[in-house]
Amino acid sequence: MRQNKGLANKALIGKLGNTLAVILLVTAFIWLGFWQLDRAAEVKELQKPYQELPIVALSDIATPNSNLRGESVNRIVEFSGTYVSQFDAPNQIDSAGEKSNWLVALMEVDGGGYLLVLRSDLPSDLPKGDISVTGRIFPRQYEDQSEREVGKLSRIDPSLLVADFPGDYYDGFVAVKKEIQDGVELTVPRVNLDPAAPSVPGYYWQHIAYVVIWWLMALVVLFLPLYSRWRERGQ
Amino acid sequence: MKGVVQRFRVMALLAGVMSLLLWFVELPVVYLLDAPELEAKVKWIPFVHGYIYAVYVLTAIHFTAKARFTIKRMILFILAGTLPILSFIAERKVSREYKF
Repeated sequence: MRQNKGLANKALIGKLGNTLAVILLVTAFIWLGFWQLDRAAEVKELQKPYQELPIVALSDIATPNSNLRGESVNRIVEFSGTYVSQFDAPNQIDSAGEKSNWLVALMEVDGGGYLLVLRSDLPSDLPKGDISVTGRIFPRQYEDQSEREVGKLSRIDPSLLVADFPGDYYDGFVAVKKEIQDGVELTVPRVNLDPAAPSVPGYYWQHIAYVVIWWLMALVVLFLPLYSRWRERGQ
Repeated sequence: MKGVVQRFRVMALLAGVMSLLLWFVELPVVYLLDAPELEAKVKWIPFVHGYIYAVYVLTAIHFTAKARFTIKRMILFILAGTLPILSFIAERKVSREYKF
């Protein structure tokens, strides 16, 4: 009697375990399908031509020490602050495909935080005092464009400067469209850059194919216990 | 049974070829080479592989259910389509076991 009860308990635990495993797997596969569907939607969204949005204050869309959000990339921002230092960023390529040496300055933004500012592709002195800047915000670069040297930025990435200028940093960099000093716009040649195309790897129909597979796998997991029962009955 | 086995064999071969292309052509081109032109030429591989694998899964389930294989074997047949050589091995095993 006790042995039967033990076996029944074991069978019940086994069934509960299987049910739990099925629920977990089905949930995971359905979730993965929705995630992939979101990726497909993102890819579709990125294929649309970029639509310019109104200018915003930098502090409205970005904060120091946090990653640049996808929706903040390419926004034209306004801010002011003081330049701290200036660096060369060699071998950078503009929207015309021309390679040149870019002038990238480090600005201490009013209200706190350092931000990298792409000022020009020609030599220019670093303006002193409070400067108001309007420019497009880009994600930081991940790949080195040149060798690492003192006074040069191998890529435009705030993490390269943290050791020399400790403090809070904004993610990404701003390509200047306009710099104003004491109410006067500075006449410096600017670098022409197309809005960044934040990329989601893959293609629309590829993501949809994987959506099909994830949800098919969810169905397979639901089908397996039924198959098992059907097979046992057949035997 | 003959039709089921033949469908499975065809899909196993197709899934195997597509897996080979995905693992040894598309992935190296996209992640190891910096060649956008070449990348554009191989962009059809992942999604064709995706749909073929989905059909492969269905034919694998149909075949293994008809053959009354165990769940474990059924799962192995389903997973065989994800790796380049395994689906070829599965196809060979099936063609040896089921001769019409």
